[in-house]
Amino acid sequence: MSLPLVLGVATALFGIGLYGLLQRRSLVAMLIALELMLAAISINVVALTTFTGHDPSMGQVVVLIFVGVAAAEVAIALSLFVAIHRSAHDIDVEHLSELKG
Amino acid sequence: MSGPVTAAVVAQAAPLAACAVILLWLRRRPGTAAALAILALTVALGAAVYMVAAVAVPNTSLLATSVWLPVSDGPGLAFGVLLDSLSSTMALVVAAVTLAVMVYSLGYMADDPGFARYYGFLALFAWAMLGLVLASNLLQTLVFWELVGLASFLLIGFWFERPGPAAAARKAFIMTRVGDVGFLLGVLLLIRAAGNATIPDLIAAAAPGGAFTPGFTTTVAALLLMGVIGKSAQGPLFTWLPDAMEGPTPVSALLHSATMVAAGVYLVARMHGLFAAAPDVMRFLLWLSLITALAAATMAMVANDIKRVLAYSSISQLAYMLMGLAAGSVAAGFFHLVTHAGFKALLFMAAGMFIHHAHSNDMREIAGHTPGRQRAGAIGLVAGSLALAGVIPFSGYFSKEAVLAALGEHAGTAVLALAYAGAGLTAYYSFRMVFLTLRGGPAQAPEHRAGAGGHAPEHGRSELAMAAPVLVLAALTLVLGWLGAWFASRLSPGAEEHGALAIGAGPLTALALAAAGIALAWLEYGRRGAARIGFVERMPALRDFFADNWYLDRLYAATVVRAAKALARAARWHDQTVLDGAGDGFASATVGGGRLLAHLQSGYVQMYVSVAVAVMAALAAWLLGGGKLA
Repeated sequence: MSLPLVLGVATALFGIGLYGLLQRRSLVAMLIALELMLAAISINVVALTTFTGHDPSMGQVVVLIFVGVAAAEVAIALSLFVAIHRSAHDIDVEHLSELKG
Repeated sequence: MSGPVTAAVVAQAAPLAACAVILLWLRRRPGTAAALAILALTVALGAAVYMVAAVAVPNTSLLATSVWLPVSDGPGLAFGVLLDSLSSTMALVVAAVTLAVMVYSLGYMADDPGFARYYGFLALFAWAMLGLVLASNLLQTLVFWELVGLASFLLIGFWFERPGPAAAARKAFIMTRVGDVGFLLGVLLLIRAAGNATIPDLIAAAAPGGAFTPGFTTTVAALLLMGVIGKSAQGPLFTWLPDAMEGPTPVSALLHSATMVAAGVYLVARMHGLFAAAPDVMRFLLWLSLITALAAATMAMVANDIKRVLAYSSISQLAYMLMGLAAGSVAAGFFHLVTHAGFKALLFMAAGMFIHHAHSNDMREIAGHTPGRQRAGAIGLVAGSLALAGVIPFSGYFSKEAVLAALGEHAGTAVLALAYAGAGLTAYYSFRMVFLTLRGGPAQAPEHRAGAGGHAPEHGRSELAMAAPVLVLAALTLVLGWLGAWFASRLSPGAEEHGALAIGAGPLTALALAAAGIALAWLEYGRRGAARIGFVERMPALRDFFADNWYLDRLYAATVVRAAKALARAARWHDQTVLDGAGDGFASATVGGGRLLAHLQSGYVQMYVSVAVAVMAALAAWLLGGGKLA
């Protein structure tokens, strides 16, 4: 494994996540895509700390914190989606346009 | 403070206190308000009687001042009291007439919703006029002069919810203001030249050999005269007075006799030393008031509204007072002011009784409501008209005779002849009024008569409140005339003495003219089967000309009013288009800008995300490309 290969995989993952975020209309699917982008960044952090000769444990600790924060974020986001679904009976972002000017 | 000065302060403080208390706390207690106002005026009347006894009877004078506005390098502006025969007598007249009007109003204004407010305003009027009369300083005079104007504005527009009185009040205020500009300028010039404006100092400075140059005195006298013309309804500025008849009738009685219009005449008497030092101004005043006297008399000859007849007669009689003053006799002018205050208040109150009864100002309609049953009113109207016409034992005869004698001595034959003609016209129009009102015309209305009879018992007390002052004043018309010699000895010392009953060529001419006027009025209106149409009314063009204030109002409407309205329209255009337009434009631009920008808020999350990503990408590209600002 080399650094460019790992960075290429991370970039591909980020691109897939961005495409999903922009393309999917369901809030849940968008959240999944967002998680993909977050994973890509985590990979970047681990790879860069490992392959550039720094202490690899530093990057791993940071990424673990990322994972914890992501889990919390997912919990909050999903509970919001449930609340939105209860009031609007829909989680399609095309229809959730109340803030339109 | 000596006794008379204390009395002067009390006379001013009592009505002021009554006014403040009524307007602040007694608006819902009409009975208490009226009682308080009458009590205050009784106190003021007592103080005025004391002042007359202490100052005018021994014929002394007193000046008490205290510095109101200290000036670092000058004497400062002193406010105070100037007491002499003139001011104390005038204070007595003011207090007495106001008290009579207040008692009369108990009946006339009974059950009016604004009863308490009315008495508050009357007290304000009394305070303002007493302050004006007793002022020691011309600036103080000016302050009270404006207060008199304010009080008459409030009272003329007392029924402000109706358009007529509101317009009349505005007209009175604005027209007198035109003259007041001159008065204000005159006072300012005097203060600049003399350092203060204490009246005796000013008169001393204006006298020959004093500090003022003749040119300066003439300028100042002309400016002060502008105020007098506005206030006393003379010359071109008189048309507000007939319109002021929209106010309650007792207000007219007050306004026309002892306050408001008398203020101008009083000012000329007060400042007579200064005016006498400006002979050109005095000659102008003489001719102006002569023309006014004749013009107003012709207008009175065709008016059908009893109050308008009386208003024109006021203008005409005020002109006689000013003629007397302009001819150099303070005593004659002021004597006529005092007798006129008595009989004009009487005439208005008597007319008010008929108006109260008939609910109309039109003399022909009043005639249809059996005016003869109001005995006090009929007595008052006849006695007042006899005094106004100048019939011998009544007060108007003596004072008018004094004025005519002063004119004969100092003013020349032409003026005297025209003034005699005016006296004849006065007799004609006053008895035209009497006959038109009291001799029931062909338009008898029996059903009204029955209704009127039924009303009488329940209005018994208010009828009494109205009848009492009328009868007292009617008796006074027989008394006041004998005071001429007393006034002459105090106000024009050194002038040759005329006996009260000096029957010579002059008085005989005047009496003959008065008799001719009355006879003509009887022939046309009074006798059985009379046509009840005057000789002027047979000429429609002339009648319209006279009835329409000699077309002066139309002239003003076509010139001054039109110009002022055009100016007002321009100002409104500027205000609405330029000033408001700028504000409105700014506001609507903000709103419109907001509307435009709102379209950016599509409400689609993914749109926002793509914009954010695009911006991030652009930022990244820019940073990679060197990160410099282009």
